[in-house]
Amino acid sequence: MATDKELSDFLKSVEKRAFKRTAYTVRNDDAALDIVQDAMIRLAEKYADRPPAELPLVFQRILSNATMDWFRRQKVRNALIVNLSEFEGADDDGGDFDLLELLDTSDNRPATESAADSVGRKQILELIDVQVAQLPTRQREAFLLRYWEELDVAETASVMGCSEGSVKTHCSRAVHALAKALRTKGVTL
Amino acid sequence: MKQSLQPTFNQDSADAVQARFALLVTAALSEHLAQAAPADIDARLRFAHDQALAVACRARTVAIAAPAVIGVSGGAAVVGGGPGATPWWLRLGALLPLAVLLAGLALIDNHYTRSQIEAAAEVDAAILADDLPPEAYRDQGFVEFLKTARP
Repeated sequence: MATDKELSDFLKSVEKRAFKRTAYTVRNDDAALDIVQDAMIRLAEKYADRPPAELPLVFQRILSNATMDWFRRQKVRNALIVNLSEFEGADDDGGDFDLLELLDTSDNRPATESAADSVGRKQILELIDVQVAQLPTRQREAFLLRYWEELDVAETASVMGCSEGSVKTHCSRAVHALAKALRTKGVTL
Repeated sequence: MKQSLQPTFNQDSADAVQARFALLVTAALSEHLAQAAPADIDARLRFAHDQALAVACRARTVAIAAPAVIGVSGGAAVVGGGPGATPWWLRLGALLPLAVLLAGLALIDNHYTRSQIEAAAEVDAAILADDLPPEAYRDQGFVEFLKTARP
Protein backbone atom coordinates (compact mmCIF):
# COMPACT_ATOMS: atom_id res chain seq x y z
CA MET A 1 0.00 0.00 0.00
CA ALA A 2 1.46 3.35 -1.09
CA THR A 3 1.91 5.92 1.67
CA ASP A 4 0.97 9.56 1.19
CA LYS A 5 4.60 10.42 0.56
CA GLU A 6 5.04 7.65 -1.99
CA LEU A 7 1.87 8.73 -3.77
CA SER A 8 2.97 12.37 -3.67
CA ASP A 9 6.43 11.53 -5.02
CA PHE A 10 4.93 9.41 -7.76
CA LEU A 11 2.51 12.13 -8.84
CA LYS A 12 5.30 14.71 -8.82
CA SER A 13 7.42 12.46 -11.00
CA VAL A 14 4.75 11.94 -13.66
CA GLU A 15 2.52 14.99 -13.62
CA LYS A 16 4.48 17.17 -16.06
CA ARG A 17 5.06 14.41 -18.56
CA ALA A 18 1.43 13.37 -18.24
CA PHE A 19 0.37 16.94 -18.97
CA LYS A 20 2.66 17.22 -21.97
CA ARG A 21 1.58 13.89 -23.43
CA THR A 22 -2.08 14.79 -22.99
CA ALA A 23 -1.51 18.24 -24.46
CA TYR A 24 0.07 16.62 -27.53
CA THR A 25 -3.04 14.50 -27.91
CA VAL A 26 -5.84 16.98 -27.22
CA ARG A 27 -3.94 20.08 -28.42
CA ASN A 28 -5.41 22.20 -25.67
CA ASP A 29 -3.51 23.03 -22.48
CA ASP A 30 -6.60 23.69 -20.34
CA ALA A 31 -8.24 20.44 -21.40
CA ALA A 32 -4.98 18.58 -20.81
CA LEU A 33 -4.74 20.02 -17.30
CA ASP A 34 -8.34 18.98 -16.57
CA ILE A 35 -7.68 15.47 -17.85
CA VAL A 36 -4.49 15.08 -15.83
CA GLN A 37 -6.21 16.39 -12.70
CA ASP A 38 -9.09 13.99 -13.26
CA ALA A 39 -6.67 11.07 -13.72
CA MET A 40 -4.70 11.99 -10.60
CA ILE A 41 -7.87 12.20 -8.51
CA ARG A 42 -9.17 8.90 -9.88
CA LEU A 43 -5.86 7.26 -9.03
CA ALA A 44 -5.89 8.70 -5.52
CA GLU A 45 -9.52 7.79 -4.92
CA LYS A 46 -9.54 4.23 -6.20
CA TYR A 47 -5.98 2.97 -6.30
CA ALA A 48 -4.11 4.69 -3.47
CA ASP A 49 -4.04 1.36 -1.63
CA ARG A 50 -2.03 -0.30 -4.42
CA PRO A 51 1.69 -0.97 -3.98
CA PRO A 52 3.88 1.88 -5.29
CA ALA A 53 5.34 -0.35 -8.02
CA GLU A 54 1.88 -0.74 -9.61
CA LEU A 55 1.09 2.98 -9.70
CA PRO A 56 2.86 3.87 -13.01
CA LEU A 57 0.96 1.35 -15.12
CA VAL A 58 -2.36 2.03 -13.37
CA PHE A 59 -1.90 5.77 -13.80
CA GLN A 60 -1.09 5.47 -17.50
CA ARG A 61 -4.23 3.40 -18.01
CA ILE A 62 -6.37 5.90 -16.11
CA LEU A 63 -4.85 8.79 -18.06
CA SER A 64 -5.44 7.00 -21.34
CA ASN A 65 -9.08 6.31 -20.40
CA ALA A 66 -9.59 9.88 -19.20
CA THR A 67 -8.26 11.17 -22.51
CA MET A 68 -10.58 8.87 -24.45
CA ASP A 69 -13.49 10.02 -22.26
CA TRP A 70 -12.61 13.60 -23.14
CA PHE A 71 -12.67 12.80 -26.85
CA ARG A 72 -16.02 11.04 -26.47
CA ARG A 73 -17.51 14.04 -24.67
CA GLN A 74 -16.14 16.35 -27.33
CA LYS A 75 -17.60 14.14 -30.05
CA VAL A 76 -21.00 14.19 -28.37
CA ARG A 77 -20.89 17.97 -28.24
CA ASN A 78 -19.82 18.14 -31.86
CA ALA A 79 -17.06 20.46 -30.79
CA LEU A 80 -14.28 18.47 -32.33
CA ILE A 81 -13.91 17.00 -35.77
CA VAL A 82 -11.80 13.91 -35.34
CA ASN A 83 -9.42 13.42 -38.16
CA LEU A 84 -9.56 9.66 -38.36
CA SER A 85 -6.71 9.51 -40.80
CA GLU A 86 -4.51 10.68 -37.94
CA PHE A 87 -5.24 7.46 -36.06
CA GLU A 88 -4.32 5.28 -39.00
CA GLY A 89 -0.65 6.18 -39.00
CA ALA A 90 1.40 7.02 -42.01
CA ASP A 91 2.65 4.33 -44.32
CA ASP A 92 5.95 6.09 -44.53
CA ASP A 93 8.44 3.99 -42.62
CA GLY A 94 11.18 6.55 -42.86
CA GLY A 95 12.96 5.30 -45.95
CA ASP A 96 16.45 3.93 -46.06
CA PHE A 97 18.85 5.97 -44.05
CA ASP A 98 21.10 5.37 -41.12
CA LEU A 99 19.92 6.52 -37.70
CA LEU A 100 23.54 6.63 -36.61
CA GLU A 101 24.00 9.64 -38.87
CA LEU A 102 21.85 11.62 -36.48
CA LEU A 103 23.61 10.51 -33.33
CA ASP A 104 26.51 12.70 -32.39
CA THR A 105 28.96 10.05 -31.21
CA SER A 106 31.85 12.39 -30.54
CA ASP A 107 32.83 12.78 -26.91
CA ASN A 108 34.47 16.16 -27.32
CA ARG A 109 31.44 18.28 -26.52
CA PRO A 110 32.26 21.43 -24.56
CA ALA A 111 31.64 21.19 -20.83
CA THR A 112 30.14 24.65 -20.75
CA GLU A 113 28.06 26.38 -23.37
CA SER A 114 27.92 29.97 -24.50
CA ALA A 115 24.76 32.09 -24.69
CA ALA A 116 24.61 31.41 -28.42
CA ASP A 117 24.87 27.68 -27.76
CA SER A 118 22.14 27.98 -25.16
CA VAL A 119 19.79 29.75 -27.58
CA GLY A 120 20.64 27.21 -30.27
CA ARG A 121 19.94 24.35 -27.89
CA LYS A 122 16.62 25.91 -26.94
CA GLN A 123 15.65 26.12 -30.60
CA ILE A 124 16.58 22.49 -31.12
CA LEU A 125 14.47 21.44 -28.13
CA GLU A 126 11.58 23.48 -29.48
CA LEU A 127 12.00 21.84 -32.87
CA ILE A 128 12.02 18.36 -31.36
CA ASP A 129 8.89 19.21 -29.39
CA VAL A 130 7.13 20.33 -32.57
CA GLN A 131 8.21 17.23 -34.48
CA VAL A 132 6.96 14.93 -31.71
CA ALA A 133 3.66 16.81 -31.67
CA GLN A 134 3.32 16.24 -35.42
CA LEU A 135 3.65 12.47 -35.19
CA PRO A 136 0.47 10.45 -35.82
CA THR A 137 -1.40 9.91 -32.56
CA ARG A 138 -0.81 6.19 -32.10
CA GLN A 139 2.85 6.42 -33.05
CA ARG A 140 3.40 9.29 -30.64
CA GLU A 141 1.55 7.51 -27.84
CA ALA A 142 3.56 4.32 -28.30
CA PHE A 143 6.83 6.21 -28.57
CA LEU A 144 6.22 8.33 -25.46
CA LEU A 145 4.89 5.49 -23.32
CA ARG A 146 7.76 3.22 -24.33
CA TYR A 147 10.67 5.64 -24.11
CA TRP A 148 9.50 8.62 -22.03
CA GLU A 149 7.40 6.79 -19.46
CA GLU A 150 9.80 3.84 -19.73
CA LEU A 151 7.10 1.19 -19.85
CA ASP A 152 8.11 -2.11 -21.43
CA VAL A 153 6.53 -3.34 -24.66
CA ALA A 154 3.90 -5.48 -22.89
CA GLU A 155 2.87 -2.64 -20.56
CA THR A 156 2.68 -0.19 -23.45
CA ALA A 157 0.52 -2.64 -25.38
CA SER A 158 -1.72 -3.04 -22.34
CA VAL A 159 -2.20 0.72 -21.93
CA MET A 160 -2.81 1.26 -25.64
CA GLY A 161 -5.07 -1.76 -25.99
CA CYS A 162 -3.13 -3.28 -28.88
CA SER A 163 -0.67 -6.09 -29.53
CA GLU A 164 3.02 -5.97 -28.66
CA GLY A 165 3.83 -6.23 -32.36
CA SER A 166 1.80 -3.09 -33.03
CA VAL A 167 3.68 -1.26 -30.30
CA LYS A 168 7.02 -2.19 -31.88
CA THR A 169 5.78 -1.11 -35.29
CA HIS A 170 4.46 2.21 -33.98
CA CYS A 171 7.70 2.87 -32.11
CA SER A 172 9.85 2.03 -35.08
CA ARG A 173 7.81 4.23 -37.39
CA ALA A 174 7.86 7.07 -34.89
CA VAL A 175 11.63 6.88 -34.52
CA HIS A 176 12.16 6.83 -38.26
CA ALA A 177 9.72 9.68 -38.84
CA LEU A 178 11.43 11.77 -36.17
CA ALA A 179 14.87 10.96 -37.46
CA LYS A 180 13.87 11.90 -40.98
CA ALA A 181 12.25 15.15 -39.87
CA LEU A 182 15.22 16.12 -37.72
CA ARG A 183 17.69 15.25 -40.44
CA THR A 184 15.74 17.46 -42.84
CA LYS A 185 16.06 20.30 -40.37
CA GLY A 186 19.77 19.62 -39.92
CA VAL A 187 19.50 18.61 -36.26
CA THR A 188 21.99 16.21 -34.76
CA LEU A 189 21.39 14.71 -31.34
CA MET B 1 25.16 -21.09 -38.41
CA LYS B 2 26.91 -17.82 -38.85
CA GLN B 3 24.43 -16.80 -41.55
CA SER B 4 21.41 -17.53 -39.33
CA LEU B 5 22.80 -15.42 -36.51
CA GLN B 6 23.55 -12.46 -38.75
CA PRO B 7 19.96 -11.12 -39.12
CA THR B 8 19.38 -11.41 -35.35
CA PHE B 9 22.54 -9.48 -34.66
CA ASN B 10 21.56 -6.82 -37.18
CA GLN B 11 18.08 -6.59 -35.69
CA ASP B 12 19.46 -6.25 -32.16
CA SER B 13 21.87 -3.62 -33.35
CA ALA B 14 19.09 -1.69 -35.10
CA ASP B 15 16.92 -1.93 -31.97
CA ALA B 16 19.77 -0.60 -29.87
CA VAL B 17 20.34 2.35 -32.20
CA GLN B 18 16.61 3.02 -32.29
CA ALA B 19 16.40 2.91 -28.49
CA ARG B 20 19.40 5.20 -28.14
CA PHE B 21 17.92 7.73 -30.54
CA ALA B 22 14.54 7.54 -28.79
CA LEU B 23 16.11 8.11 -25.39
CA LEU B 24 17.99 11.16 -26.70
CA VAL B 25 14.73 12.56 -28.07
CA THR B 26 12.86 11.94 -24.81
CA ALA B 27 15.74 13.45 -22.83
CA ALA B 28 15.39 16.53 -25.03
CA LEU B 29 11.65 16.57 -24.38
CA SER B 30 12.24 16.40 -20.62
CA GLU B 31 14.76 19.22 -20.84
CA HIS B 32 12.37 21.32 -22.89
CA LEU B 33 9.52 20.60 -20.49
CA ALA B 34 11.63 21.64 -17.50
CA GLN B 35 12.63 24.89 -19.22
CA ALA B 36 9.44 25.87 -20.96
CA ALA B 37 6.59 24.98 -18.57
CA PRO B 38 4.69 28.21 -17.82
CA ALA B 39 4.12 29.15 -14.19
CA ASP B 40 0.34 28.88 -14.44
CA ILE B 41 0.60 25.28 -15.63
CA ASP B 42 2.94 24.49 -12.75
CA ALA B 43 0.42 26.06 -10.37
CA ARG B 44 -2.47 24.08 -11.86
CA LEU B 45 -0.49 20.85 -11.63
CA ARG B 46 0.39 21.62 -8.01
CA PHE B 47 -3.28 22.25 -7.26
CA ALA B 48 -4.24 18.95 -8.93
CA HIS B 49 -1.50 17.18 -6.98
CA ASP B 50 -2.80 18.61 -3.67
CA GLN B 51 -6.38 17.71 -4.57
CA ALA B 52 -5.38 14.14 -5.35
CA LEU B 53 -3.54 13.79 -2.06
CA ALA B 54 -6.53 15.19 -0.16
CA VAL B 55 -8.81 12.68 -1.88
CA ALA B 56 -6.42 9.82 -1.07
CA CYS B 57 -6.24 10.95 2.55
CA ARG B 58 -10.05 11.13 2.79
CA ALA B 59 -10.45 7.70 1.16
CA ARG B 60 -8.01 6.20 3.65
CA THR B 61 -9.73 7.89 6.61
CA VAL B 62 -13.12 6.51 5.59
CA ALA B 63 -11.64 3.04 5.02
CA ILE B 64 -10.02 3.02 8.45
CA ALA B 65 -12.87 4.73 10.34
CA ALA B 66 -15.76 2.63 8.99
CA PRO B 67 -15.03 -0.62 10.88
CA ALA B 68 -14.21 1.26 14.10
CA VAL B 69 -17.39 3.32 14.10
CA ILE B 70 -19.73 0.31 13.85
CA GLY B 71 -19.55 -0.15 17.61
CA VAL B 72 -20.38 3.48 18.32
CA SER B 73 -24.02 4.53 18.82
CA GLY B 74 -25.92 5.63 15.70
CA GLY B 75 -26.11 9.41 16.18
CA ALA B 76 -22.35 9.88 16.47
CA ALA B 77 -21.65 7.50 13.62
CA VAL B 78 -23.32 9.69 11.02
CA VAL B 79 -20.67 12.40 11.50
CA GLY B 80 -17.86 10.28 10.05
CA GLY B 81 -19.44 9.61 6.65
CA GLY B 82 -17.68 11.15 3.65
CA PRO B 83 -19.32 12.11 0.35
CA GLY B 84 -19.46 9.34 -2.24
CA ALA B 85 -18.40 6.62 0.22
CA THR B 86 -21.46 5.97 2.42
CA PRO B 87 -20.97 2.76 4.39
CA TRP B 88 -23.72 0.11 4.16
CA TRP B 89 -24.70 0.47 7.80
CA LEU B 90 -25.37 4.20 7.34
CA ARG B 91 -27.63 3.43 4.39
CA LEU B 92 -29.35 0.81 6.54
CA GLY B 93 -29.73 3.40 9.32
CA ALA B 94 -31.58 5.69 6.90
CA LEU B 95 -34.22 2.96 6.44
CA LEU B 96 -34.78 2.60 10.20
CA PRO B 97 -37.43 5.39 10.54
CA LEU B 98 -39.40 3.86 7.66
CA ALA B 99 -39.31 0.44 9.34
CA VAL B 100 -40.52 1.97 12.64
CA LEU B 101 -43.37 3.77 10.83
CA LEU B 102 -44.51 0.56 9.09
CA ALA B 103 -44.39 -1.40 12.36
CA GLY B 104 -46.48 1.35 14.06
CA LEU B 105 -49.12 1.25 11.31
CA ALA B 106 -49.32 -2.55 11.57
CA LEU B 107 -49.81 -2.30 15.37
CA ILE B 108 -52.56 0.33 15.03
CA ASP B 109 -54.37 -1.78 12.41
CA ASN B 110 -54.15 -4.85 14.62
CA HIS B 111 -55.47 -2.91 17.65
CA TYR B 112 -58.39 -1.48 15.63
CA THR B 113 -59.40 -4.90 14.28
CA ARG B 114 -59.33 -6.44 17.76
CA SER B 115 -61.44 -3.64 19.25
CA GLN B 116 -64.01 -4.12 16.44
CA ILE B 117 -64.18 -7.84 17.17
CA GLU B 118 -64.53 -7.22 20.90
CA ALA B 119 -67.37 -4.72 20.37
CA ALA B 120 -69.23 -7.16 18.09
CA ALA B 121 -68.74 -9.93 20.67
CA GLU B 122 -70.15 -7.72 23.41
CA VAL B 123 -73.28 -6.96 21.36
CA ASP B 124 -73.71 -10.64 20.52
CA ALA B 125 -73.31 -11.61 24.18
CA ALA B 126 -75.84 -8.97 25.29
CA ILE B 127 -78.42 -10.15 22.74
CA LEU B 128 -77.96 -13.79 23.62
CA ALA B 129 -78.13 -13.11 27.37
CA ASP B 130 -81.30 -10.97 27.09
CA ASP B 131 -84.77 -12.26 28.19
CA LEU B 132 -86.15 -11.56 24.71
CA PRO B 133 -85.27 -14.00 21.95
CA PRO B 134 -83.18 -12.50 19.08
CA GLU B 135 -86.09 -13.17 16.68
CA ALA B 136 -88.12 -10.51 18.52
CA TYR B 137 -85.88 -7.78 17.04
CA ARG B 138 -86.92 -8.86 13.52
CA ASP B 139 -90.55 -7.96 14.31
CA GLN B 140 -91.18 -4.47 12.89
CA GLY B 141 -93.90 -3.75 15.40
CA PHE B 142 -91.64 -4.52 18.33
CA VAL B 143 -88.89 -2.29 16.86
CA GLU B 144 -91.44 0.51 16.45
CA PHE B 145 -92.56 -0.06 20.06
CA LEU B 146 -88.99 0.23 21.27
CA LYS B 147 -88.52 3.51 19.38
CA THR B 148 -91.74 5.14 20.54
CA ALA B 149 -91.92 3.70 24.08
CA ARG B 150 -88.67 5.42 25.13
CA PRO B 151 -89.30 8.32 27.57
